Amino acid sequence: MKPRKYSQQMIDKWLGLLLMVPIVLIIFGITGIPFVRAVYLSFTNKVVGLKEEFIGLENYRSLFTDKIYWKSLNNTVIYTVGCIVAKLLAGLLLALLLNQNLRGKAFFRTVLLIPWALPGMVAATTWRWMYDSTYGIINSMLLKTGMIELPIPWLSNPGITLLSTMIVNVWRGIPFFMFSLLGALQTLDKQVFEAAYVDGAGAFKQFIYITLPGISSVLGISALLSTIWTFNDFENVFLITGGGPVYSSSVISTYTYDLAFIQNSFGRALAVAVSVIPLMLIMIMISRKIINTDINQ
Amino acid sequence: MVRTKRKRIINSVLTYGILGLALIWTIFPIYWMVKSSLSLNSEMYVARPNLFSKVITFDHYIDLFFNTTFLHSIWNSLIVASITTVICLTIGVLGAYAMTRLSYPGRNLFRSSIIVSYLMPTAVLFVPMYVFISSLGFYDSKYALLIIYPTFVVPYCCYMLISYFKAIPYALEEAALIDGCNRLQTLWYIVIPIALPGIAVVATFAFTMAWNEYLYAMIMTTSNAQKTATVAISAFKFADSAIWGRIMSASVVCSLPVTILYIAAQSLLISGKYEGSVK
Repeated sequence: MKPRKYSQQMIDKWLGLLLMVPIVLIIFGITGIPFVRAVYLSFTNKVVGLKEEFIGLENYRSLFTDKIYWKSLNNTVIYTVGCIVAKLLAGLLLALLLNQNLRGKAFFRTVLLIPWALPGMVAATTWRWMYDSTYGIINSMLLKTGMIELPIPWLSNPGITLLSTMIVNVWRGIPFFMFSLLGALQTLDKQVFEAAYVDGAGAFKQFIYITLPGISSVLGISALLSTIWTFNDFENVFLITGGGPVYSSSVISTYTYDLAFIQNSFGRALAVAVSVIPLMLIMIMISRKIINTDINQ
Repeated sequence: MVRTKRKRIINSVLTYGILGLALIWTIFPIYWMVKSSLSLNSEMYVARPNLFSKVITFDHYIDLFFNTTFLHSIWNSLIVASITTVICLTIGVLGAYAMTRLSYPGRNLFRSSIIVSYLMPTAVLFVPMYVFISSLGFYDSKYALLIIYPTFVVPYCCYMLISYFKAIPYALEEAALIDGCNRLQTLWYIVIPIALPGIAVVATFAFTMAWNEYLYAMIMTTSNAQKTATVAISAFKFADSAIWGRIMSASVVCSLPVTILYIAAQSLLISGKYEGSVK
């Protein structure tokens, strides 16, 4: 072997750092610069076309008395928590069912995946069509089968509009949990279950003491990812109710959009967006332990 | 496990029953979308629509292809999604390889920050991103998306590829290195061929992430020439009133490529190695 001028270790080190450059540029550059500018602009009265003026905490102060802001925040929390719980439970149930030896398992898996594969805006638009007060099939079916007497105002009753959007988010999101958890369930060792059965543990005990701990890290990561996605869900609410009527289904993402692109006040929009970062950080920190165990395996 | 026959029957009934309900819940909106795209306007715009109709029409598809620029929008989506996939896959494969096989200062920091960046909230970022990209001169352009999409597709690719690469035994590369290959050669000739199914799956998901995206596409592409498919669908309006026939047929056309890709990737996942969570 010819003698090397540089050790493999040195080559590795420089190559490694070199290959990190594009990632750093993309993730920290393209994400970081707007982010920093966003924080700066949130302290100004930036409006499209005009030069911004520094106004300090004025935008943030106005949020305290902004009823729509608090309504949006409230809605966002309800939307996020409600959808996650529903998706997780349904996904877990379906994963447990599919984990058995079934006939047509592949068929079920393929078909049940489709809502996740569809573009989010397609799902939202289709459900919007189904919810339509005049031409919608949902009310038509419910009325024709006699399950309800009056059409349900999915898109106009302020008490129901948020729920209408949540149903669609759940419809779209169940497959994600179902497939993640199914994969996790399949890694569990059957012998442990058999041993427990021999020891007298019923199905319920087995579930609590063997299944749940076994899938806990996948459950945790899936829940975390889905929470972030659900919290940021824009197209679903925007395309079904537009955040209305009268902001009844407004969430933080749609309110930010409204302030920025319809009311044209970027400064306030950014203040809204930045103000929810602490909430996001708390969510991330709560689940960080689970992520760390996964990465450092 | 031994179970009484009665318990097994109850189990079967419950299992297939629940799965059956899940199927109906899943399929019904899709059925309605396809059915609407093939229905006459006179049957769609009716006070209490029926579940089935006797007549099928391709009017909406013909209208879509000849009276709108939708095909061009599909083309835009194709360009954006393909280029995004190539860029992100390249950076992702190289990055994931570095993060699993090479050792350099700050490696673990990079790995955890990949995840953190993937958690970056779009709701916070999209307005400043718009301001930033516009200030670079990208205004009403699908190419602006090529800058934006990698910010969330690259972390995803890295994360998935890291777990695929970790599962490949190092012994093969060790042998190659001893024989005189350098790192990049072992990546190209050994690691990539073995990880190919995994890479194909990641490529599929990267493509669909870019294809399905709506918010950034909506704010960065405004003219008909630049719009991607998802934006075009939501724009089919006539004086504030939605043209549902066009919307439904466009939805079907827009959904087909990604649905097929997903199903293909799914079969790869099931037959090949299955690592962690799936998107």
